[in-house]
Amino acid sequence: MDITNAIVAEGIVKVFKKKARRKHIIGPKIGKDELVYAVNKVDMKVRKGELFGLLGPNGAGKTTLVKCLSALLLPNEGTAVINGHDIVEDPIAARESIGITTGGERTLYWKLSGRDNLRYFAALYGLSSDEANQRIDYLMKIMGLLDKQYERIEKYSTGMRQKVSICRALIHDPPVLLLDEPTLGLDPSFSRFIRLFIKKDLNEKQGKTILLTTHYMDEADQLCDRIAIMNQGKIVAVDTPENLKKSIPHDEVLEVKCLGHADFEGIGQRVYSQSEDGVQVHRIHSENVEEIMSEVIKAADSAKILSMNVTKPTLEDVFIHLTGTRLTGEFNEE
Amino acid sequence: MLPSTNRFKRYLRAMNAENVKEWKIELTYRADFIRGMLEPLIFVFPYVLFAVALMGGRTSSVLEGLTGVSDGVTYTIIGYIFMGFLNTAVWGMGFALRKEQWYGTLESIFVAPVPRWVYVMGMASHSIAHQSIILFFQVAVVYVLFGLLLNVQGILPVLIFVALMLISLMGLGLMISGLALMFKEGWIISEVFYSLITIVTPIAYPLAVLPPLLQKLSKAMPTTYAITGIRHFLIAENMEFTLWSAYSRLIIIGVCWVVTGLLMFHIVDRKVRREGTLAEY
Amino acid sequence: MRNDLFLIKEEIKKNIKILLCYPVEIMFWAIFPVLWVIPFIFQGEALVGGVTSSEFGKLAGTDQFIPFVLIGAIISTYLFSSLYGMGGSIRMESYWGTLEYILGSPARKISILMGKALSESISSTLFVATQMVICIFGFGLTLTVGKILPILLVMLLLVAGLYGMAIALAGVTLQIKESRSLVHTIEYLFYLFSPIRYPVGIHPMIAAVSVLIPLTYALVAIRGIWLLNQSVSVLWQYVAILALLDVVFITFGYSIFYFMEKKVRKSGVVAQY
Repeated sequence: MDITNAIVAEGIVKVFKKKARRKHIIGPKIGKDELVYAVNKVDMKVRKGELFGLLGPNGAGKTTLVKCLSALLLPNEGTAVINGHDIVEDPIAARESIGITTGGERTLYWKLSGRDNLRYFAALYGLSSDEANQRIDYLMKIMGLLDKQYERIEKYSTGMRQKVSICRALIHDPPVLLLDEPTLGLDPSFSRFIRLFIKKDLNEKQGKTILLTTHYMDEADQLCDRIAIMNQGKIVAVDTPENLKKSIPHDEVLEVKCLGHADFEGIGQRVYSQSEDGVQVHRIHSENVEEIMSEVIKAADSAKILSMNVTKPTLEDVFIHLTGTRLTGEFNEE
Repeated sequence: MLPSTNRFKRYLRAMNAENVKEWKIELTYRADFIRGMLEPLIFVFPYVLFAVALMGGRTSSVLEGLTGVSDGVTYTIIGYIFMGFLNTAVWGMGFALRKEQWYGTLESIFVAPVPRWVYVMGMASHSIAHQSIILFFQVAVVYVLFGLLLNVQGILPVLIFVALMLISLMGLGLMISGLALMFKEGWIISEVFYSLITIVTPIAYPLAVLPPLLQKLSKAMPTTYAITGIRHFLIAENMEFTLWSAYSRLIIIGVCWVVTGLLMFHIVDRKVRREGTLAEY
Repeated sequence: MRNDLFLIKEEIKKNIKILLCYPVEIMFWAIFPVLWVIPFIFQGEALVGGVTSSEFGKLAGTDQFIPFVLIGAIISTYLFSSLYGMGGSIRMESYWGTLEYILGSPARKISILMGKALSESISSTLFVATQMVICIFGFGLTLTVGKILPILLVMLLLVAGLYGMAIALAGVTLQIKESRSLVHTIEYLFYLFSPIRYPVGIHPMIAAVSVLIPLTYALVAIRGIWLLNQSVSVLWQYVAILALLDVVFITFGYSIFYFMEKKVRKSGVVAQY
């Protein structure tokens, strides 16, 4: 039994069949049936007590991978071992060690109160009535939900529901947590609270192993000990946030925002451009941006420069460097 | 991690939690709950009135010749009341997981370390309790309105028949539960099973009036033995099986249906997990 | 007006396309309501030893109870599949999250409801047509060509009243969300108080309540045409009462819908599922 790693994924493949659609009910098919490799030979090891991030855009395969690890989905190939239990051979034992939050608005019983929901799930994880009550009191206190505990979930805000989901994941005090986009759709203050809770309480204080999926670069950067970058079903890099950023060949990034078309090709080592609400955003990688500033101003020509900022490479840049696409859209390399 | 309790205890807790949860949710829809309790009380009336329209009264010499019972009204009522338990299996159990898909909570409960059949059993306990309460009121209402005369001494063997029938119906519930997960039109699976079983079960008529092929199919249904046996003990209907033959057939069918149900459920569970359609409604 | 017609057309197209995603459901509604009649045939065999009953004939005007019950099954399928479909349609819009957008649009609600009701009629007509074929070839029910038109005219009148009920149901669904159980209750009451399975003369209370139900007059008229070969002079009164009830139900239905829509807009429960 592996005593170092809490999660070990080996060669996980998950394939879905995508059927070709017809434009009209009796019309010909558009395109062909195809196989979609949602997760394509993923190997991954998460150490005990580590806060491990899985960073990738929508559709990268993060949720599918998490569902495979929690035995909700059967992988087509490969397997994973969670806390010493194989998810394919012994899914029930593996699930005993996992607490999970999945995305979606509707994962709780809306007609039951927060407390009743947690009591129910506590029973599913084998807690007695007293154990459940103690645990719920403790978790709801931390989450600031005690005064709302008897209200129905349908009356809760999105943030409160997410808090209840996290309570549910923690109800049986599992050593491993799979948190799938836990701050998705939450406002900044709730997000901040959840992130702090995950980092300080769950990971540092309680020593839980956490696999966190997100497409928010800042979240991954702030929270995670190590990050796996995932794109189109594959893990393209795994390392600490610092090392990932250092892996970009160029130290500095000059971010130029301008109105109108500007051609910065040939300046610096690499240029990535994108349009955001009519504003052109160019990220020019260079070893020394001071040297290229005058060139940039000259090359802007008739375009109006709105701002120029010198930044260090971010995980976004790492992602673009590795995959050619943005975490949240297409970034064109010039 | 919290100390893990003995698995059997954990499964019992999960079953009980499932039962309690279903009651709580049901009771939040007060109007529906009341309606759900009142409707079964009038459920048998159309069947009884149809029988009365045919007979021109309460009794039938044709029925007496076939079964030894002339009271067509009581004969009809007993069959349809006990068919309520089939309803329980098909809708209460069979549709339970589909309901969770509708709620959006199916994945949340499936990720817990409890086998799937435990949830279905939990839902079964809720459905059976529900149906038993309804049965009590149904019997009271029809007794007052139609003046049923039943042989009270037959209650114990009747209860045994009901208990044995319930075992088979749990197997049926498992089968339907699994199939309902697989098909988008889950409620239709329940309706189809319910309809087919009611067609071949001698609910308000003896086995002898069914065509030969349907009689053969009928003898594979636990509801056939249960309803015939119940009528035999309550209103002295002639029974073509001996008591022990009826009990043993019920036990055999029960075991077969439960095993089939578990197997089918296991196959479907793996299929939906492979295809990733668990959360889809 | 042109826009309304376009909207109705698109509403129908949308609902039919969605229905076609559920072929098993189509097959179910087309076949099973007729199979549910089979236990009645066996019950008849057990109680009267055959397929005719003189006692039944005294109340119903025909001693052939099987065609009586079959016609009741077909016509009631039309009614209930439309009612379930209408309530379900609103419910599904709520489930998908599209209901708010629909009610928030400048489109006339009446056009949306007409589109929904018409698409339910189209699908119900398909089901009923299939059932008629099964009844004719499977159960020996006979139907001469000359009777088809008068039966269709009575059906159209029933459909008009049905639209009123369906629209009221749509309004109630906006508020209570769970329409299926309400339709279930209506179904139970109709099975009890209208001549779907037996003549209403079986009990004075049944007869008294049945006069308020449009289905009663539709069934009496249709059976009169189909089974009893009754003439217009006998049946016109039932048709006239049916038409009058239609006006009442349609007015009532629209009033309910508009009242409920205003209510849910005020209370904000439109988006709640």
